[in-house]
Amino acid sequence: MKKAIVYLCLCFISCPLFAQFNSEDIPQGMNEGTLAGFGASQVKDTYLSPFTYTGWGARIFNERMTMLRDMHFSRQQTISVDITSTRNPAENLNDFGAFADYSLAYHYRIPLGANSRLLPGAFVHLMGGFIYNTRNGNNPLSAKVDADMGFSVILFHTLRVGKYPVILRYQGEIPFAGVFFSPPYKSSYYEIFNEGNTSNIITLNSFHNKLSLKNYISLDIPMNSATLRLGYLCKFYASDEKFLETRILSNTFMIGLVKNFVLR
Amino acid sequence: MKQYLTYTFAFCICIIAIFFFHGCDMRDEFDESPLVNFESCWQILDENYCFFDYKQIDWDAIHDKYAAMIHDETDERELFQILSSMTHELQDGHVNVIAKYFYSAYDGWFQPYPPNFDWSVIQNYYKQGARAGDYDEIRYACLADNRIGYIYYGSFNESILESELNKIFETFKTCKAIIVDVRDNGGGSLTNSDRFASRFLDKKTLCGYIQHKTGKGHHDFSKPYPLYLEPSRGDLWLKPVILLTNRRCFSAANNFVSKMRVLPNVQTLGGSTGGGSGFPFMSELPNGWRIRFSTSPILDINRQQTELGIEPDIPVELAAEDVENGRDTLVEEAIRLLLSAG
Repeated sequence: MKKAIVYLCLCFISCPLFAQFNSEDIPQGMNEGTLAGFGASQVKDTYLSPFTYTGWGARIFNERMTMLRDMHFSRQQTISVDITSTRNPAENLNDFGAFADYSLAYHYRIPLGANSRLLPGAFVHLMGGFIYNTRNGNNPLSAKVDADMGFSVILFHTLRVGKYPVILRYQGEIPFAGVFFSPPYKSSYYEIFNEGNTSNIITLNSFHNKLSLKNYISLDIPMNSATLRLGYLCKFYASDEKFLETRILSNTFMIGLVKNFVLR
Repeated sequence: MKQYLTYTFAFCICIIAIFFFHGCDMRDEFDESPLVNFESCWQILDENYCFFDYKQIDWDAIHDKYAAMIHDETDERELFQILSSMTHELQDGHVNVIAKYFYSAYDGWFQPYPPNFDWSVIQNYYKQGARAGDYDEIRYACLADNRIGYIYYGSFNESILESELNKIFETFKTCKAIIVDVRDNGGGSLTNSDRFASRFLDKKTLCGYIQHKTGKGHHDFSKPYPLYLEPSRGDLWLKPVILLTNRRCFSAANNFVSKMRVLPNVQTLGGSTGGGSGFPFMSELPNGWRIRFSTSPILDINRQQTELGIEPDIPVELAAEDVENGRDTLVEEAIRLLLSAG
């Protein structure tokens, strides 16, 4: 447990590192987009069931991209709230899931010709949520709490459609280290939360026990005073720890508006 | 250069999309095959059930015995019967197979034993008392010229408010002792049983241990973790208590008896409890049937299993002649002992 807390602190060393940007961290311009969307979800959590449940998911996704003054760096903050409703292969049992994510990323901007930019960077990420099975008596819920850091890359490309610039963006994220809530194999939440046996419930994670990928594609189409954004977000989460497997795959198509602000 | 980047970008997006739409598809198929479902049921229990060693069950031999009964033409009803019989080998009331129209439950933990409880007789005692609030499963009365309190808690599925418990103990304030009757209490929520037990102690008390499975092997268990009871902030009862038990005290009621008998002012009277000390989890089979099984043994204060029941301090059986006369032998004996204690 102590080791995990130390690791959690190390995990967020990146926050002070990011803070080093403060000397130049006076934002010059900000781009804020809020999208809502709907898509397919697949959820497997062997604490609840050995099978993959399939169904739908809905998501609200807010993103703030701030360009820092020297124009070499940008800061990206995203908040995402996601709910899912899935059914087992026999179609007689339901899972409901709800997850909230926050991530903070800093990217270095590298121009690639006149119309493209590559933004490699790093991020820290917090996630909390649960999967609830409607028919399990003493093990109805599997809680998910993760804190991690990882690599992020964004590729922007500006296309010309008639006289309008349309911005195509791909973003990929992969965490490489962190901590997550992982109860022992068949430890009940009664034992953990009612009786207080919290030993061994926080685990260090990296590629040996967790793989999480986020792929985000968006298309910004300028309208009159705002910009229409179409997005596709694919998130894959897999953990395998203490003989418990979790797999969550969601594909969400989103639509929303983007506002640009100039801050001086 | 521009064209090259555009094509590269589009290519990357296509690769990613194909990978995620098809490569990561994790769907399981609905499968009604009798053999697949039999094997799944056996494996879930093999990896999760917690009393194989304690009950000295050869689960591999049981697999071979019942697998031989499965064939391609085994229909749904036959499969259910086979799975029920297989799970009954575990002799555990917490192991159930639940299908759409069928429910399997092992009843060997109480059927061969005398009931030691007659509801119609108990009602004679309530004529002197009252029902607690709007609760169906909780009744209380003052007996023996208001010298002995009597409270019946029939199911720990029934949650009682602290204020209602205060009211009950307020009623008993003139009594010198009480009888707590949990006969035929088949269990329910540990939170409810702990809330009730917390009225009978005035300091934090060690009352048992819990373990959980740490892996899929039959011997993979955590170290016993101590379970404590904290005294309630409401009215406490620290005077003598006799706790009436019978074989149908199961699961959370068995746990309640295990905790109460630790307390210095409590004696148990009646028959052995029914056990059921494994904390049950649920899972499912490929055909959608559900299966419940014990995964976390709850031990008594001496780190001993109570899965097969707890013997009373004072064994007493319900006498047929008492029942004919409208009397409950256990209640009468408890009153006699409490009054004679001075």
